[in-house]
Amino acid sequence: MPIENEIRRLRFENGEMTQQALAERVGVTRQTIIAIEHNKYSPSLEAAFRIANAFGVPLEQVFRWKSD
Amino acid sequence: MSNQANKLEGSSMSFREKSAWIAFLAYGGVFGAYFVVLWQAWDPAYGQGLSIGLLVSAMFAFVIIVTALTIVAALINPKAANAPADERERLIDLKSERAASYTLSTGVLLTMAGLLLGFNGFLIANVLLAGLVAAELVKAGWQIVSFRGVLQ
Repeated sequence: MPIENEIRRLRFENGEMTQQALAERVGVTRQTIIAIEHNKYSPSLEAAFRIANAFGVPLEQVFRWKSD
Repeated sequence: MSNQANKLEGSSMSFREKSAWIAFLAYGGVFGAYFVVLWQAWDPAYGQGLSIGLLVSAMFAFVIIVTALTIVAALINPKAANAPADERERLIDLKSERAASYTLSTGVLLTMAGLLLGFNGFLIANVLLAGLVAAELVKAGWQIVSFRGVLQ
């Protein structure tokens, strides 16, 4: 996947938020959060914004394009 | 970063993945057994009475197994069972449906070939059933490997 993310770090910095808690805030399953976190699934723009919103940070602080 | 935030790192199955496993095992087990018995009993002397009874039994067993296992899965986590599919699950569902449609199309083509070759109605019906079962196995199998992260 060409997109990297900082979800794991952001979860840690936000009171050790669990994947389940993040999933509930975003409106997806925990398995989808795991897939996103491990770069196995690129979320839709809406889900990406929801994740950023859950952490209270701009989108670019959560996701970034992985340049070669 | 290895405290509570990572306690749930292991990816247990979602309700839809469990459903895919239930479908895969039920279709594979019940109709696999059906076709094995059918193959072993393949003799024109048996006639269609046995096969229709066997098919009804297989369908009955399939419905019972799927219903019972789905109820158990739903009881284990009712919240997940009632939740709508999320975007990744919908995408996996669409891709698995596409793969299943190719399989079913192949089954239909084989059925047409059987008609042209003069197969009897009983054989044609079972070729079509095999195509349908194969399509459902492909669908469930595709979902399982997708949920496991093997397919993107």
